[in-house]
Amino acid sequence: MDDGHRGGTFVVHGQWDIALRDLDFVLTLDDDGDGRLTWGEVRRHQADIERYAYAYLGFTANSGTRCAIRPARQMIDDHADGAYVALFFDVVCTQAPVRLRLDYNLFFAIDPSHRGIFVMNNGASVATAVLSPQNAAIDLAL
Amino acid sequence: MPVCRSRQYLAFALASLATCQGTAYGAATAASLSGPAAPFRTPYLPSNDAETLQDVPSALDPAVSEMRALRAQLDAAPRSFPAAISLADTYVAYGRQVGDAHYAGYAEAVIASWMAAAQPPTRVLVTQATILQYRHQFGAARALLQQALRKDRGYAQAWLTLATLDMVQGDYPSAGKECAQVTAAAGVELGLVCSANLRSYTGQARQSLVLLHQAEAAGENAPVNYQAWVQDLMSEDAERLGDWPLAEAHYLQALRLLPHDNFLMVAYADFLLDRARQKEVMTLLAGHEQSDTAFLRLALAQSALHSEQVGRYTWIMAARFQALALRGSDFFGREQARFALELQHDPQAALDLARRNWQVQREPWDTRLLLEAALAAQQPQAANDALAFLQRNKLEDVIIEPLARELRTKLTAADGAAP
Repeated sequence: MDDGHRGGTFVVHGQWDIALRDLDFVLTLDDDGDGRLTWGEVRRHQADIERYAYAYLGFTANSGTRCAIRPARQMIDDHADGAYVALFFDVVCTQAPVRLRLDYNLFFAIDPSHRGIFVMNNGASVATAVLSPQNAAIDLAL
Repeated sequence: MPVCRSRQYLAFALASLATCQGTAYGAATAASLSGPAAPFRTPYLPSNDAETLQDVPSALDPAVSEMRALRAQLDAAPRSFPAAISLADTYVAYGRQVGDAHYAGYAEAVIASWMAAAQPPTRVLVTQATILQYRHQFGAARALLQQALRKDRGYAQAWLTLATLDMVQGDYPSAGKECAQVTAAAGVELGLVCSANLRSYTGQARQSLVLLHQAEAAGENAPVNYQAWVQDLMSEDAERLGDWPLAEAHYLQALRLLPHDNFLMVAYADFLLDRARQKEVMTLLAGHEQSDTAFLRLALAQSALHSEQVGRYTWIMAARFQALALRGSDFFGREQARFALELQHDPQAALDLARRNWQVQREPWDTRLLLEAALAAQQPQAANDALAFLQRNKLEDVIIEPLARELRTKLTAADGAAP
């Protein structure tokens, strides 16, 4: 962890990749309905995507205070099973937490078999976890 | 105000895992991922609005517009059971058609509140069982079907699903009894197809074809799904008998009835791969890369053609299997065994996967892969149970028989050499 957080806000950077196919199912991004989702169509729906996705993600500091999510930018990330939108964001807490709790509920209500794959890269170490309806929160030791 | 920029970096690959046949067999593929780097760009901004990023279900497809209309009906009346069950069944059928297991999850969510009732309606039990069977959760699927049949002994769809499940798992005596129940509950036509399907696995492929011809003639006005099912069973019978032109004619007829059906396309692709007609596989499956089962056949075709794309296809297939393993569901053992054998060239991993798969799934392809892997790994004794199974059930199959003969010869030679 960097110095400088004493007395200031605490920021963690995040990247959240969501499959365009899944987003199209809930938001119908393919405006012309031709079965080909273009960058133009995705770009026009960026605000919808942000509004929809961030409603299902939350961070809470050890004290129980919610940390704010500050969306930064959206890009496209190719995965083995298709193209994903990559949401870059900052988690902003008013104080440096010892633990940060992540709550994740995207798509669970419409698809209980949906899974979130969480990867935390803390300098040298990488930790992964799977988020599911039965396991929708992770405590991150910072 | 000073802002602390910590080193923590959260990344979610929030897995759509569209293809989503999960699996518990990730170890074999995980190793391969430590090799070459991902053949993808890092996150990027496309330069052109017209660039296509992703194929999605088209609103112009009648099946998609039907799903959306049913969804709107349910949204308007969220407690309507008829609306929910129609939508769930439509999702399941569409997911099968395109080879996308997301739709099984969507269906599951739609019927969840009825499944949670103390006494779920029988139709919900059967739909949920179909979803579980699709995910290869055979034990749980069987329990739900039995629960449905305790409530309604005359529920033909439940008997047929149970018979199919028993055929997939190689329990032919049980399947025979269930086909008789299908006949009793739904009439002779459906019972005939059930029984023909069973005969294909028990050394009576010729009789199976005769029965299916009767079903074909009687079913001219039946729904296309039923007609395509009959055609598919006929091609499988013809393949077992080694009549390639007949098999191909029935595959093509089935695909005329249900164009772009993932299950049929993949079965036909396997037929073409066996005939060394790889280029036709690429044409057949072009545009269907989203389906994992279709993607594997494309990768196999690339490999057989020694294409320079093989590395990319193999990497993507391994990554998909690894992502599916993270989900923890148990699907796709057959595909993984075949991947290990034919694309990773790892006979030991293929044998381990094929044996595990064969514990739950015993269709001819599952048996064939186990025999092929046992031969490749030079462990004929690993096929003992499968050989006994073949003998007991008298499966006739011109591709499997020589493999079984070769293994028996090796086992006999090993016995002779033993002190």
